[in-house]
Amino acid sequence: MAKYYDIDDILIEEEFAPVIFHKPVNGVTIDPSAETSCVEQGAKVELPFWLAHELHLRQAVSINLPACFDQKTRLEIQADAACVDLRSRCPYFYEFGCKLQPLVTDRTIGILLSTAFKIRYKERLTKVFTATHLTASKFLPFLTKEETNLYEAAHLSMTTFRKWRTGGPRFQRASILGRKRKES
Amino acid sequence: MMYGRKGYQLVKDFASGEKGLLKPFNSKLFDETIEECEQNHGLIQSLITKMQQEGLDVQNNRNADHYGALVHHLSLTRNKRCLMAYVHNRAEIVRDLAWRVGLVLLELPPDIQEKLTALEKDYFKNHSKAIKSYMGKLGIELNVDMVPPKDPYIKIRVVGDIDQGIMMSDKTTNFTRHSMHFLKRTDAEPYIARNQLTYPPCLIGGKI
Repeated sequence: MAKYYDIDDILIEEEFAPVIFHKPVNGVTIDPSAETSCVEQGAKVELPFWLAHELHLRQAVSINLPACFDQKTRLEIQADAACVDLRSRCPYFYEFGCKLQPLVTDRTIGILLSTAFKIRYKERLTKVFTATHLTASKFLPFLTKEETNLYEAAHLSMTTFRKWRTGGPRFQRASILGRKRKES
Repeated sequence: MMYGRKGYQLVKDFASGEKGLLKPFNSKLFDETIEECEQNHGLIQSLITKMQQEGLDVQNNRNADHYGALVHHLSLTRNKRCLMAYVHNRAEIVRDLAWRVGLVLLELPPDIQEKLTALEKDYFKNHSKAIKSYMGKLGIELNVDMVPPKDPYIKIRVVGDIDQGIMMSDKTTNFTRHSMHFLKRTDAEPYIARNQLTYPPCLIGGKI
């Protein structure tokens, strides 16, 4: 488990996925529609991915695609992927999709993710260097975490290059101290 | 709902800070996560006991109680993962502090010191000790010149409070506030990192 300590991986695995229970479960309150603290066989419950995954490995549940990958989203991506607000669907749209792909019966997730990413990369992320602040601020809130990381990396490399060109200060207060100015 | 929720909140709290910067240690959430683990543990015990009382083979029987205990076990290990990640990622920042800011705990800015727990302060001290001992064996100072130097000397201005009469490698200097000095880069670097000295950035055509 190379990503055991990885904060993003922990956050991704908290995303919810709908499951159907194949086995009854006693002594747990994860099914809000149950009257007692148990889950019946055949119950449909939304579980966090980390739990759904482990139960799936033990054949206790089967996992379905969450709402963020539904038909409505797919149609929007088909129409104009660059404009879809993926972050509101799921901030970790791509990584979550990748984790789900081997576990669900739907075989089209992979194509959906790679298509969406290719289009959005080409239309949005390559324009980092040329986009004005106004256009950038419009689509930045629509980017997923993964896309935002790429955007910030590009922005950082561009800033560093410009700084090198103009010869700005090479010594800095340690970034680890934060940006807040101390009153002197 | 108590299935890994507190651990998630703890990790989220860490992630909500600026990347690479420390927030104060969230003892409240930390303790609540541990308490959630204990609740999970208690329920595992009671479900296993129930199975034993029914005369079932706990190791191999896959009934509803088994799956209940499993869910609680998975929640417990999930919370454990969150606790470990919280401490691990903070420790990484603490190690970074030693390299980038300074090796002496008391020379760190006070607002950073107060974000560390007592254990983290000990960790910092031990890590600094290890770095110093390693540098001593190599005979080189490893935590200076993090940016390749162009010039051995730079011009600086004092902005913070530094003790008077500091020994530099080639002279003793009095660091009165707002005074300007011409120092060796390697001497000035730790003070600049701690924001006690600033150097007037040169305009185009100058060099640092």
